[in-house]
Amino acid sequence: MKWWTNKVNDPTALTGNSSFEETVQKSIVLTNMESMLAWGRKNSIWPFNFGLSCCYVEMATSITSKYDIARFGAEVIRGTPREADMMIVAGTVFIKMAPVIKQLYEQMMAPRWVISMGACANSGGMYDIYSVVQGVDKFMPVDIYVPGCPPRPDAFMEGLLLLREQIGKERRPLNWVVGNQGIVKPEAISMKEIKTVERMKMTEIRRPDEV
Amino acid sequence: MPDIITILKTKFPDGIISEQITKNDFPTLWVHAHNCMAILYFLKKEIAQPYTMLYDLTAIDEQARIYRDEQPDSRFTIVYQLLSFQRNTFLRLKIPLTSQTPSVPSITSVWPSANWYEREVYDLFGVKFTGHPDLRRILMPNTWVGHPLQKCHPARATEMGPFHLPESKQDKEQEAMKFKPEEWGLNKNLGDDELMFLNLGPQHPGTHGILRLVVQLDGEDIVNIVPDIGFHHRGAEKMGERQSWHSYIPYTDRVEYLGGVMNNFPYVMAVEKLAGIEVPERVKMIRIMMSELFRISSHLVWYGTFAQDLGMMTPVFLTFNDREKVLGIVEAICGARMHPNWFRIGGVTQDLPKGWEKLVQAFIDYFPKRLKEYDNLVMKNSIFKARTVGIGVYTTEEAIEWGITGPGLRATGFEWDFRKKQPYSGYQNFDFDVPIGKNGDCYDRAAVRVEEMRQSLRIIQQCVNNMPEGPYKSNHPLTTPPLKEKTLQDIETLIHHFINISLGPVIPAGEAFCSVEATKGNNGYYLISDGNINSYRTRIRTPSFPHMQLVPEISRGYTIPDLMAILGSVDYVLSDIDR
Amino acid sequence: MTVAPETTTLLWPFLLYGATVVILVSGIVLISYFLGERHKESATNNVYEGGIIATGTARLKFPVDFYVVALFFVIFDMAAVFIIAWAITVKSVGWAGYTAILLFIAALASILIYIRSVGAFDFGPNSKRILKAYRTKIKNTSYEMVDK
Repeated sequence: MKWWTNKVNDPTALTGNSSFEETVQKSIVLTNMESMLAWGRKNSIWPFNFGLSCCYVEMATSITSKYDIARFGAEVIRGTPREADMMIVAGTVFIKMAPVIKQLYEQMMAPRWVISMGACANSGGMYDIYSVVQGVDKFMPVDIYVPGCPPRPDAFMEGLLLLREQIGKERRPLNWVVGNQGIVKPEAISMKEIKTVERMKMTEIRRPDEV
Repeated sequence: MPDIITILKTKFPDGIISEQITKNDFPTLWVHAHNCMAILYFLKKEIAQPYTMLYDLTAIDEQARIYRDEQPDSRFTIVYQLLSFQRNTFLRLKIPLTSQTPSVPSITSVWPSANWYEREVYDLFGVKFTGHPDLRRILMPNTWVGHPLQKCHPARATEMGPFHLPESKQDKEQEAMKFKPEEWGLNKNLGDDELMFLNLGPQHPGTHGILRLVVQLDGEDIVNIVPDIGFHHRGAEKMGERQSWHSYIPYTDRVEYLGGVMNNFPYVMAVEKLAGIEVPERVKMIRIMMSELFRISSHLVWYGTFAQDLGMMTPVFLTFNDREKVLGIVEAICGARMHPNWFRIGGVTQDLPKGWEKLVQAFIDYFPKRLKEYDNLVMKNSIFKARTVGIGVYTTEEAIEWGITGPGLRATGFEWDFRKKQPYSGYQNFDFDVPIGKNGDCYDRAAVRVEEMRQSLRIIQQCVNNMPEGPYKSNHPLTTPPLKEKTLQDIETLIHHFINISLGPVIPAGEAFCSVEATKGNNGYYLISDGNINSYRTRIRTPSFPHMQLVPEISRGYTIPDLMAILGSVDYVLSDIDR
Repeated sequence: MTVAPETTTLLWPFLLYGATVVILVSGIVLISYFLGERHKESATNNVYEGGIIATGTARLKFPVDFYVVALFFVIFDMAAVFIIAWAITVKSVGWAGYTAILLFIAALASILIYIRSVGAFDFGPNSKRILKAYRTKIKNTSYEMVDK
């Protein structure tokens, strides 16, 4: 008899058949440990000092004191991919640069996440030109897409906060020797759908001819 | 004094083919390929008041052009643009090439700075330069097939098939990018020492962007540097041939991404020259004010990151904070922070909002104290001075030889500012000084930029005091988009508005060139119109391209930390080098 | 004359401390070897050099400046050992030992001053000399710029 319930379409669904005592033990201990590890991971995401283009200036602005992503744990910016957790592809992805980005991504140590910042990294942006790859997800997995050209530092911070929430809900393997080796991520949501309700309530827009 | 055309025609009677009339007042001459070396040498060395600087070297693919008037027959045209400081004017020479495998003698023996320009023309057009020391691709990857700026090469990435990066392709590309010293003529040994080749790779916090410098090191001393650019090539010149005159303005913003609206300036001025549009006085002053605000913003970014390269962590936070105030003004007036693309053909997007004077005046009152604080923090710091005085020195002659403009030229002691010498858009009515340095080292370049910020504040104060009333757009039919009030009343203007925005304004055929004193140096746009809705050829002459060429020459013998100081003081932006 | 009583130092706290250190360090290393995820892609174990394959090797014969620094370290480190040895027995060697160590330190200081004056500590270029050379170059080849 199954001694647990699952939500419909829950990616972190438990499977198997064990006794009542084992189930209770397993669900309490595993969930606490994993959520504690996830909490540790999400509060200390160290970004990789990697900027390609104009979006890098806005990323650097978000690191300085007015926007300050250091208060969310992204305090230490590492120059080498071996020590970094998160790679922010900020700027246009060029064909000449694509093998370099791929090499740097492969040299990052797991767990690692990728934020694609700016229109050029999301999809090529307005540069449908011979030397630009139409989006970094053509050759790399991406966790969060931040639109904008360039996105404001506030928008980039929102992307970072969404990534934190996602990391807080992830399940990653504890060790590489025994145990389940798969990474279980929550489903990616479109912020546009979530914010539509609030946006539809906007009726008054500020006139541009006054400061 | 006889004018330059008469002098050239008497000296080289069979060398000059004809003269071309452009919308500029400096002459454009067509010359034969076999005479060009002799003519260029004559212009540089033997004439009185010589043309000492090679300002630009580029090419035009003439195969799809319709309106060529009486121009000589040509498939590819090589364009040389020279600048004479004593005459205070430009000169353009064009060489027609008609063969199927175009080639022209290289002028690297006359100007060493022609090296990279000729490599770029070979890379993008396929024209060979005989006698060039090292003709190879510079902007495109080594494995690229084809020459992008030829008219037969596809422009869009979506026309070239989807992009995949399997492991085999990645290995092939990385192998092609690997540095082989024998190809460049560099030794592996220096006496008894073995030399190390270090990649200050595309990803490096100190190169301010994706630039690769292969440094040949003897211990920690630099023996030679080979820069590898092209990682940031966005094809801005090809994009100009595809976008309409009006919808190209956002692309100009991103050519030098710290300059914002300052990049729209030479482009819209050149288009207005082609179209024959005169802008109102208010527009001129608004344009100057926004350009100077962006000059301050760009110099603040430079200031903070330069201090950070040399080890100071604090100034970055302070200068970026001040930049936020500037961007607040920009956002209130233009609507966007970093890339406003706010200038339009014939004017600006919309009028200044009510209350802008208070906003700008608040910044003008707030900023001088901060500059004084940064002076105490950075410029008077003994470690900063020890790391920048005497580093990366070059003389005025070397600067002119290599095509340096902007603060890098003024730091050598030569007072040349295009805003004073060739004033545009009303700069002659403003009262400001041009700071110069003495030694031409890193410290003087830094001091010149800091003083430039103060002078920009003076200009902005004069704008606030003297802003004239008037329309914010010209009344010319080619103004894109036209004044909104007229659009809503008058069917003719409505038709113009619709066609110019959806298709593009039809600018009459011709050629025009306009340059401004941009944040990094002199930024010039050379536009060729074929009577179409888009440009036939958009040539963007950026200041950082020749600056990067000079870096290996001024860094020999220094150590890697000094190289960081030199790179910071040259103040380039990668999209300015690669476009 | 009295004979000072013998004092015995205990051995077991020292051994316990050593064992704790060894167990702690090896425990940390072993556990962190087994924790975490692993992945292996084509470039994962390559040397990192800005995203490009490196040219040549770092195991070269490098210039003698670096050896000189190591040499100085060894010399002055040995000198420090001797000074610490004196510091432990400062009471028992008395004034004779003090004068001996004073002479030793004076010899070391004079060596240091000599090395500095010879220029063994100078790394990189001498920027003041370069600037002076450029100034004379500018003065000798005066570039006449006649402004209109």
